[in-house]
Amino acid sequence: MSWRNVKLIFMREVLDQLRDRRTLFMVAVLPILLYPLMGIGMFQMTAIFSEQPRTVVILGADNLPDLPLLDDDHFARTWFRISTDADKLRVISDGAETAPSADPAVNEARTKVLEQAKQMRELLKRRVDAETELEAAQAAKRPVDEVLALEAKVHQLIEPLSQRFHASGIQVLIIVPPEFKQNLLHLRDELGRRGADDKVLAPIDYPRPLIVQNSADEKSVIAHSRVTEVMREWERSLLRKYLRESGLPEHLPTPINPTPIDLAAANQVSANVWSKLFPSLLVIMALTGAFYPAVDLGAGEKERGTMETLLICPATRTEIVLGKFLTVLMFSASTALLNLSSLGFTGKYMASLASGGGAASKFGDLSLPPFSSLIWILVMLVPLASLFSALCLAFATFARSSKEGQYYLTPLLMVTMGLTVFCSSPAVDIEPFYSVIPVMGPALLLKGLLKATGPDMTLYMYAIPVLLTSIGYSLLALWWAIDQFGREEVLFREAERFDLRLWVKHLLRDKEPTPSFTEAGFCFLLILMLQFLSMKSMQMAMQVATPDEQGILQIRLLLIQQIALIATPALMMGVMLTTSMRKTFSLRWPGFGRLGWAIMLPFALHPLVVELQASLQWFFPKPPPGLVEALKMMSSDALPLWLVILAFAAAPAICEEIAFRGFMLSGFSRTGKISLAVTLSSLAFGIIHMIPQQVFNASLLGIILGMMCIRSRSLLPGIAFHFVNNVLAILHGRMGETMPDTGIWSWLFRHGDGMLRYQPALLCLAALAAIALLHRLTRHPRIQSTENVTANADSTLRVLGAS
Amino acid sequence: MITVERLSKRFADLQTGGFTALDGVSFNVQPGEIFGLLGPNGAGKTTCLRILSTVLRPTSGTAFVAGYDVAQHPAEVRARIGFMSNNTGIYDRMTAWEMVEYFGRLYGIPEAALQERIGHLFDRLQMNNIRDVLGSKMSTGMKQKVSIARTIVHDPPVLIFDEPTSGLDVLVARNVVDEIKSLREQGKCIIYSTHIMREVEKLCHRIAIIYRGQILAIGSREDLAEQYKQPDMEELFFQLIDEHEEALKATAAR
Repeated sequence: MSWRNVKLIFMREVLDQLRDRRTLFMVAVLPILLYPLMGIGMFQMTAIFSEQPRTVVILGADNLPDLPLLDDDHFARTWFRISTDADKLRVISDGAETAPSADPAVNEARTKVLEQAKQMRELLKRRVDAETELEAAQAAKRPVDEVLALEAKVHQLIEPLSQRFHASGIQVLIIVPPEFKQNLLHLRDELGRRGADDKVLAPIDYPRPLIVQNSADEKSVIAHSRVTEVMREWERSLLRKYLRESGLPEHLPTPINPTPIDLAAANQVSANVWSKLFPSLLVIMALTGAFYPAVDLGAGEKERGTMETLLICPATRTEIVLGKFLTVLMFSASTALLNLSSLGFTGKYMASLASGGGAASKFGDLSLPPFSSLIWILVMLVPLASLFSALCLAFATFARSSKEGQYYLTPLLMVTMGLTVFCSSPAVDIEPFYSVIPVMGPALLLKGLLKATGPDMTLYMYAIPVLLTSIGYSLLALWWAIDQFGREEVLFREAERFDLRLWVKHLLRDKEPTPSFTEAGFCFLLILMLQFLSMKSMQMAMQVATPDEQGILQIRLLLIQQIALIATPALMMGVMLTTSMRKTFSLRWPGFGRLGWAIMLPFALHPLVVELQASLQWFFPKPPPGLVEALKMMSSDALPLWLVILAFAAAPAICEEIAFRGFMLSGFSRTGKISLAVTLSSLAFGIIHMIPQQVFNASLLGIILGMMCIRSRSLLPGIAFHFVNNVLAILHGRMGETMPDTGIWSWLFRHGDGMLRYQPALLCLAALAAIALLHRLTRHPRIQSTENVTANADSTLRVLGAS
Repeated sequence: MITVERLSKRFADLQTGGFTALDGVSFNVQPGEIFGLLGPNGAGKTTCLRILSTVLRPTSGTAFVAGYDVAQHPAEVRARIGFMSNNTGIYDRMTAWEMVEYFGRLYGIPEAALQERIGHLFDRLQMNNIRDVLGSKMSTGMKQKVSIARTIVHDPPVLIFDEPTSGLDVLVARNVVDEIKSLREQGKCIIYSTHIMREVEKLCHRIAIIYRGQILAIGSREDLAEQYKQPDMEELFFQLIDEHEEALKATAAR
């Protein structure tokens, strides 16, 4: 590979992009202008935006106790935490003290509102009466039709009430019962009298005020929450006053009342803001910054016909892709950085403007993150931008036209957004498992590093896996892009008419012995979807079952799931889309030898798998409680062993093998790349297991199962292996505890973490046996029957034909 | 210089299952010769030339260009050929000079020699007036000139032209044809595909008539006229195609 060519192509592409006004606008001008413009917009909005005051009506205001709740047509400012909030509620009360306004129109409107409120009070009263009547009737066991008539009456009263409330323009209605003031004073007097003699105060009950709101109306909800806040504050003051007057300590109702101390320095507050904003912005901008240039460099080049010109120059495909990749990377990184700095400076400037008061002032001065954090942003940006650049370039190369390329942005953006939203949740911090997930690792690490509390050593330790895996993913994506570029069917894809009818016809007419790659992929998606859709109904079934039934129900559900949702789709697709069930599902006698080895292998692998799982427990997130339950079931003695074996070993062994090693593997191997086919089928097998730890185990086993199936050209060794493997896991759970671990046995077994563990001596033996068995099982078959020779020749021809 | 042996190419196709674009084609081309590939659209000309220029890989058969196997040593082959077709595009946001310079550099021509060579080419093709014009502002004729300059900037011994005049007006087409003639005089090995009879008659030493991926007849104009007793090129072309169609029908009926 010549770096000179890479550099030449890179320089040309950069120049080309810089001469394109659209790209320049997207990458440079937009971020520099966008944030200040948004800032100005926000300022203007806050300036012109003043909250409309909401209407609160108080009926029976004269019955309120002496501590003044109201101040003319507002609540008294004392009761608000932010005193200006008082202006956001307009109070209309029927109190005698309310001074009539100078404007007769205002007075008239007020009278009208009060009139409506009074009507509502009347309706409410009738409703309460009707309800009391109904309760009395129910209690007295009156005839059914009488009770029903009363119920209907109550219902009839509810609807006009809510309609009237909605139409009145009142957001909150407070109804103070008569004698309320006197009742409270009585309470106070009782309290005072109690101080003199030591008798227990009899419970005093009296009618309480009503607060009417409509929780379906946003305005009413906001007004209501403000009113409750005011009332609570007022109530506390009232209580304190009464206590004081009764000669009791004021703080009696709040004996704990801790003093809050906020240690956050101003720069920490701002660091917190940045740690929330920067990682997600970095991710999103690195993606969008990569996307548009990539589409132009990939699909755009095809569209303009310059792709062929470039392909016949002496630069190799790898050099071309690398040159293009570096260009996209540069634009992705600069877009992200420009956006970040523009946001940073705008935010800082805005905060300094707002420091006089207002909502933004709580961010402090929003000082920019320290220099070390900025370096970390750069360090994390490189793998992120490389991953997105390579991915986008691969998509863009695949696309026939720029338009098609644009379509790929949405799914890419959605997935990335989902991950960033997850990462920006305050509850999510980096942990081993997240650190190896693409996008999430860098985003979470950066979030931690930018945080106010300052990074600790463990966070720096995460930098290694995060960077290593990120670079790994980027290289994989780049390899994919190069691979796309090397495929002539991708480079010379011509726009073909897509006709669903023709396509289905083609699928059913031009059947081949084994499924195609796409059909295998579709089979996987189908199974995944079915699993997802069935999850809800299975959950429901489990919830309604009694604890005794749950065990057997779980077995039943598992069997249904295996047979109906895994094996059936694969078998159906096999029947409909292929001509040879025997070839598709590798139905062939593998010979006793291979079958025997396949039965023995799990015995060797089982201890290794158990120890590997135990040693990797720290890495994975905790499994959900539902799974723990299911696993407990597997090991509990409540169910007969044969039933557990049927559901957890026999059914998966047959059904999963049919789907993953049968249909999918034979479809995936049509690429001619065995390792790719095995990897894909084992990944599919893993993903279907949903829980990270299971995904990991299943993927590993999937590789062994895949290799076994390919080499023996038979499904049977896989089924045998799978069955024995699962049986061993069940026995390990059920009987592991009873294994001896004393005397000579202590060389082999020990008990730890509530299960049977294996000693190094046993593990060494198992490893040796496993290697030997794997070698036997995955070696190439020595003798080929004539039938297989023709089959191989067939597949070679097909591969040639497809390329 | 170019040796093609039983070259075949199959493409996967959704609707028909598969499509043979090239079916056992063999020919060879000597230096100083223009070899014409004559055939209707979709006959397999472009596929054949794309294989020769290493952009596509053959399904079976071999092709040697300037002594190198196109499948084994594509880089060596690409360094020794110039390829031009009517859809080898010009970059919109590059000037004529930059475009030719860029490809010259990719061919690894030393900088001083390159500048001299481009200067010479621009003089010869009368392109000095469009030196600093961006691709997006060029007329079709200008673009074609830039394409020619790009094709021959590294002075390759083998030149491949895939319908270079299609879609051009007569004046520009004539310029292109004249340029190809002068390249022949320099002793280049040229392969030229077209569906225009007159160009073949004027330019080519030897002709291969290609139809549905197969070569129906091959030889010089005189040889063909004599062999098929048909002096008129166009008539000969239709005659061969009709015969082939009938033969196909006969095999299908059997």
